[in-house]
Amino acid sequence: MWESEVDGKRLTFHLAGINNQNFIMRDDETGTWWQQVSGEALHGPLKGKRLTQVYNDELSFALWKREHSRGRVLRPDERVQKNYEAANWEEEYAKFRVVTPVDTNDKLKPRTLVAGVALDGKAMAYPMPDLEKQRLVLDTVGKTPLFLVMGEDNKSVRAFDRTVDGRVLEFFVKPDATPLQLTDAETATIWDFSGKAVSGPMAGKQLRKVTVLKDYWFDWKIYHPDTAVYTLGERLPQANP
Amino acid sequence: MIMNTSPQKGRWKFWLLLLLVVGLAIAMVAIPVFVIMPFKAQTTTGVEWSYWLRRFSPWVTLISVILFLALCVRLWRGARWWGRLAMFVLAAPLLGVTWFARQNHFEWMFNPLPNAAYASVTDAGFVPDNDMVMAVEINGEAVAYPVRQMAYHHVVNDVVGGRPITATY
Repeated sequence: MWESEVDGKRLTFHLAGINNQNFIMRDDETGTWWQQVSGEALHGPLKGKRLTQVYNDELSFALWKREHSRGRVLRPDERVQKNYEAANWEEEYAKFRVVTPVDTNDKLKPRTLVAGVALDGKAMAYPMPDLEKQRLVLDTVGKTPLFLVMGEDNKSVRAFDRTVDGRVLEFFVKPDATPLQLTDAETATIWDFSGKAVSGPMAGKQLRKVTVLKDYWFDWKIYHPDTAVYTLGERLPQANP
Repeated sequence: MIMNTSPQKGRWKFWLLLLLVVGLAIAMVAIPVFVIMPFKAQTTTGVEWSYWLRRFSPWVTLISVILFLALCVRLWRGARWWGRLAMFVLAAPLLGVTWFARQNHFEWMFNPLPNAAYASVTDAGFVPDNDMVMAVEINGEAVAYPVRQMAYHHVVNDVVGGRPITATY
C-alpha cells in the first residue's frame, strides 16, 4: 500500500507488466514504471524515486469488522466478478510453479507463505506455519525490539514495536482469551490484537504497528536477498535482566 | 527505352525499405510482450528494454504507418497485381501493431477499477468472514480491500482520510 504522491505530484497507477511474478505499475502522469512490491521507480522520468509506504494490515474480514464497524469495503465489479479468485485460491496458487532460480539449500519451499518484516536495513521472514504453532514471537529486527502475533483466525498476523515509553516489554498471549488478548510481563497490562492497552497500568496506550508483508518465500527473498529466517523455538523469550 | 526503365530501376530498394518498416514496427511492439510475459523469469536488462520499447512504440508505429503509405504511393504505379496485394498483406499487421501499441493488454486480462465503489460494513455481505482483506486506516477512515478482488484488479487508486493512496496486491 503506497502513498500516491511523489514530490507533491499526485499519480494514478495502472497495472503495466510483470517482473519475476511481481507486477509493474505505470503512472498515467509521468509514464514511470514502478515495482509493486518495493515501490521503487524502475524506469522513466521518476527513476530512482521510491513511493512512501502506507501502513496496512492483512486481516480476516471477521477480525477487521470487529475493529472497524464504520469502515467501507471495496465492492466487487460485477462485470468481471466471474474472474475473481475462488474461495480456495490460496491452495490453488500454492501449486503454481516458480520461475525464478530456486536455492536448493533452502529449508523453506518456494511457495511457503512467510510474514516478512524489513526494518533498519535488516529483513526477517517468519514462516506462517511456525507462527500458527507459536502464536507469538518476540524478536528484534535491526534495532527494533518487536513481536509478531497470530490472530485467533490463524490467518491474520500483526507486528508491534514492543518499546513503550522507552521501556522494552515482553509480551505473552493470555491463555484462553477470546477474542485474543495479550499481556506484558512488566506491567501486566491487557492489550488487544490492535495493539491497544485495554486495561491495567498502561490502559489507553497504543503500540506502534510494524508493517508485515505476507508473501511467498521465493518472492520475499528476491527483494530481501540478505533476509534471515526465523526458526521455531530458536528465540525463546528471555527474562529481562 | 532508357526513359521507360529508369523508374523501374532500384525498386527493390523501396520494397526492402517497406519490409524493414513493417518488421521494425512489429518487433518493437512484440518484443516487450514476450519479455514481460507472466510465468517467465525477467532480467533487469529485459525489463529496461521493454520499458523503452513500450515508451516509444506509439510514436514509432505512427511514423512507420506514414512511411509505409509514402512507400506504397511510390511503388503503386508500375506494380503488378501481386505487388499491390503484398502491400495490403503487409498493411494488416502494421495497422494491428500500431493499434496494439496504444493498448494496455495487461488490463485486458485484469480489468482496472477506475470508478471503484464501496459498501458499508453492514452491506458487505459479499465478503465471507473467513476471507482476507487488505486494511488501511488513515485519519480515522478505515477501508478494507478484499484480497480475492485485489488479486484480480491488482491496483486500486483511492483517497483515504484525505490522503491519496494506491492499494496494490
